[in-house]
Amino acid sequence: MKQFHLRVLACNRVFYEGECNMLIFPSFDGEMAIMAGHEQMSTAIEVGEIRFRLPDDTWMRAIVSDGLLKVEKTKVTVLVYSAEKPEEIDAFLAEQEMEKAKEQLSQKQSIVEYHISRANLAHAMARLRGARDSVNI
Amino acid sequence: MAGAKEIQNRIKSIQDTMKITKAMYLMSSMKLRKAKEKLQDTEPYFFALEEEITDILLHFPSIEDIFFDNRRQDRLETTKKRAFLVMTGDKGMAGAYNHNVLKEAQRLIDESEVQGPDGKKYENRLFVVGELGRAHFRGRGFPIEPDFYFSANNPTMHRAREITGRLVELYKDEQLDEVYLIYTRMINSMKEEVSMQQLLPLKTNEFVRAEIREKIEQGLLNPEVIDEMDDWYLFYPSPRAILETLVYNYLTGYIYGALVESFASEENARMMAMQSATDNANAMLSELSIEYNRVRQAAITQEITEVISGAKALKKKKLAAQKRKKSQNTK
Repeated sequence: MKQFHLRVLACNRVFYEGECNMLIFPSFDGEMAIMAGHEQMSTAIEVGEIRFRLPDDTWMRAIVSDGLLKVEKTKVTVLVYSAEKPEEIDAFLAEQEMEKAKEQLSQKQSIVEYHISRANLAHAMARLRGARDSVNI
Repeated sequence: MAGAKEIQNRIKSIQDTMKITKAMYLMSSMKLRKAKEKLQDTEPYFFALEEEITDILLHFPSIEDIFFDNRRQDRLETTKKRAFLVMTGDKGMAGAYNHNVLKEAQRLIDESEVQGPDGKKYENRLFVVGELGRAHFRGRGFPIEPDFYFSANNPTMHRAREITGRLVELYKDEQLDEVYLIYTRMINSMKEEVSMQQLLPLKTNEFVRAEIREKIEQGLLNPEVIDEMDDWYLFYPSPRAILETLVYNYLTGYIYGALVESFASEENARMMAMQSATDNANAMLSELSIEYNRVRQAAITQEITEVISGAKALKKKKLAAQKRKKSQNTK
């Protein structure tokens, strides 16, 4: 299978840099996959899980916040606020975070605070899902 | 010349101050190390973001949108509302760090108070990060933004997101037309520079093109870039839909980078200030100890002189008395 260069950059670290042959990410209308030779494109990534297949056919997963994705001729760049491996996430802490976000959301808030709390909740839920899945596998 | 006791008191107080400056030096050197690590971690993201934004804006179709500030009603506005996001420190004792940022901000604000070249008026609003800057502007009677309390200490992504949320919300509400960021960049460990960046409105593709052409003329960029400028580019699902995500990502990324960089600069400035304070204290101590020794020596010399002269006087008296006795005996 043809390969392309993938960079997954979070604001606090380089999550992955190297070859890969398929990338699946959550788009605004569902999941989308990118393979080598994709047309040049710019799009937004939603909060959720990205998966990419390494040249040795193993899958790597990452729980990401929202961000941007850019496809160039030979490389793909993913820019997100945060990216974590599912096994790095503490399910207990993630659940606490989700509870906290839900609680915040139920309070009276300004629009900005509401948007942030909603984003927090989405992120906490994605992390929790990721953490649980990694235990099940 | 001061007395020995006074000099000793002075030495004691300098030593106490030195203990504080030394402790602060150690603390800021530790904080600086952490901040530098953070800076290094975020650099790949920051540079990639900058590159990506430029690239996206370059290929972005020419549309009229609030984020470009080029809609009809924007062009007709006679007053432009500007926001200055100024990043200062929470504490002083950092050499000229805070002073430099505030001076630059003040200069920009003073300059823009006058009418712009196109006859447009400017209205300024101040968003200040860091307690020291808030106190500075409040003391001078500037209308700083209420409920905008963000610390400059230990920057986090969450804080950057909140700041972005506030600014973009106001921007979309047409309460702001332009957003500028003033922060301190760390060039190397000895040099810092206050820099200003326009965050909003975004640059239009004509503008980016002109910038690239200029850079090529100056020899900063490879001329081959021009060939790629007109490449067709897909914006999924649509340019307008991606624009808002782009703005949030761009501002958050940039503000986070600026927060981290400012924090590192602040700790660096504080470390250097404390280093020179400790050096100065050491120099003063060595001078004072010489002076103290001199005073002590002078006191001892004086005492000895007094003792000797006293003894001499006594001896003379004795001799005189003996002579008198002798002369009496012989009589």
